[in-house]
Amino acid sequence: MTAQGRDPAEAAGLLARLADLVVAMDVEGVRREAEACLAAGLSPTRVISEGLSAGMRSVGEKFKAGEVYMPEVLVSCDVYYKGLEAVRPHIVPSDGSVSRGKMILGTIHGDIHTVGKDVAVPVFQAAGYDVVDLGVDVSDDAFVDAIQRHRPDVVGLGTYMTSTFMHAGATVETIRRAGLRERVRIICGGPAVDPAAARRMGADDASDDAWEAVGKIGRLVECLRAGAGRRAS
Amino acid sequence: MSKVVDEWMGRLKGKLKPVGEMTHWERMAAAFELKPTDMVPVAPELDYWQITYAGYTHPEIYNDVDKTTDACIRTWADLRTDAIWMYVDISHQIEHFIPAEKRPEHFIHRGPNDYLLFKPIAKTLDEAIALYEERTFEKYGPGSRPATHYTPHMLQLLEFQEKMDRVVPIIVGIGTPSNFAETIVEVQKFVRWTITEPKAKLKHYLDLALGERLEALDFYAEHARKNGCEFVCLFGGARTWGPKQLEEFGYADKAFVDKAVKIFPHVFWHICGHNLPQAMEALTRWDGIQAVQYDMPYYSQKLSWPEWFESVARLFAGKRCAMNAPTTQLACHGTAAEVKAMVRQFIECTLPHTTAVIMPGCEIDSFSPLENVKAMIDTAREHRS
Repeated sequence: MTAQGRDPAEAAGLLARLADLVVAMDVEGVRREAEACLAAGLSPTRVISEGLSAGMRSVGEKFKAGEVYMPEVLVSCDVYYKGLEAVRPHIVPSDGSVSRGKMILGTIHGDIHTVGKDVAVPVFQAAGYDVVDLGVDVSDDAFVDAIQRHRPDVVGLGTYMTSTFMHAGATVETIRRAGLRERVRIICGGPAVDPAAARRMGADDASDDAWEAVGKIGRLVECLRAGAGRRAS
Repeated sequence: MSKVVDEWMGRLKGKLKPVGEMTHWERMAAAFELKPTDMVPVAPELDYWQITYAGYTHPEIYNDVDKTTDACIRTWADLRTDAIWMYVDISHQIEHFIPAEKRPEHFIHRGPNDYLLFKPIAKTLDEAIALYEERTFEKYGPGSRPATHYTPHMLQLLEFQEKMDRVVPIIVGIGTPSNFAETIVEVQKFVRWTITEPKAKLKHYLDLALGERLEALDFYAEHARKNGCEFVCLFGGARTWGPKQLEEFGYADKAFVDKAVKIFPHVFWHICGHNLPQAMEALTRWDGIQAVQYDMPYYSQKLSWPEWFESVARLFAGKRCAMNAPTTQLACHGTAAEVKAMVRQFIECTLPHTTAVIMPGCEIDSFSPLENVKAMIDTAREHRS
């Protein structure tokens, strides 16, 4: 019998240990423990949601409480990815995972910083979103191409510098000119973003906190699916 | 002697109306020394904005020192801020680490009215250490922009400062060890390395960065201070560090400050982004820093702007002059009324506790409307300090 099938306490213990390794930034241990979870018969979906993602949620709580800071968060994100690498090959389409929505995300042209994106992508994935990471220094046209190709619900415009954030408006305008603006909701992210300024530039919202952004993205997806007008968040 | 400075002398010397009872210089110096001023000084970091305001494009001034200096003086002559920031872009600071043929790959113009995009020089900690150990900054120094553009521009502005009888100070910007250590490899790598790399190895890298910066201060003593420079902005890195990083690696910036304050009378620290409370406290303990150009509260603080302004002012009381407002974002995307409101809020929250300078935590964006910049200046002029 597997841990999933026979002993809930054993399964919970394995998943809790995996989550703790994300918080403890243990890059070596996380791969080993994720493989142990799979070997014990836990489904990949459960290993991700109740192990790795639970760890990321704990990191978020500690960040909000001032117990950990950006350096620790970044390394925890790297550890989360290491765990995902071990689990991903075992995922099969019928394992019951349900996406809360699809998102494309990239750091806009003229900004090569990955700090915000490196935190945001795993946090959004951990929250159940299907995230396509477009990378850094992404041109406006590349965002348009990605919208056409991936058909996301939400577009994330990452900016690290204050000066880069000012260009989010140009990216939104390019998306609008391509006739895609009404198909998607757009959120800006990064340490220097401001929701009011983002809305003035034609985006729907902004957040400087990946965990707070999860709630905002959820509302944007709901509004999009309900056919509500923009600015509803 | 420079032609561009002499042309401006002909236009301005003896022809400017006083602004208030103090000169711009006196106003800034008094605020830094925590003394009363006739009005709250205003000295926004106009880097890219002033180039556009003066009618130039950024590629146009990139290789023209006279036009760069002209833009700074022209903007000041029109707006009469209480200091002139010398124009600094990333190429001025770091180009001497890169061989000439590789420079175009690392510095890319974002657009005609826009900032310079910089791509990091080293990918690994070993590469970054090698850059310093091999003293590439000496090898590639001659002919690089720090020598051919930054220094001549600085000297022209200091010449203007002296010929104008020190009515307005020039602010010279200098990068700190943490700033250089992060920029060369990109901040996201350095921040991770504070956890993932051996501490001794990262400290060795930081020590090398500190060594180069201390040598740079000798240059500034010879070429800036001896030519009249008194007001210096130390551009801090370490903006995404946590308390542990500050404790373990903050020593390099502290050592840099110790030397800088012995050279320059009026030194302030630039800390943009989300400011960690521990970093703000450290800045009140580093002797010799007179003022802090600060920015937003740290994520976990969850403070409103008035709460943040007041908490910093209380922390700085009797120790530091507080410099902030409006935010760079508001200056670009807000209305003039919103800019005025935020400047007033900062002044009202700060003045009961310490002196204030109106200076957004980061540079004014190129695309900020002129009426917003004017609103910032006009509002400062309404308040006696």
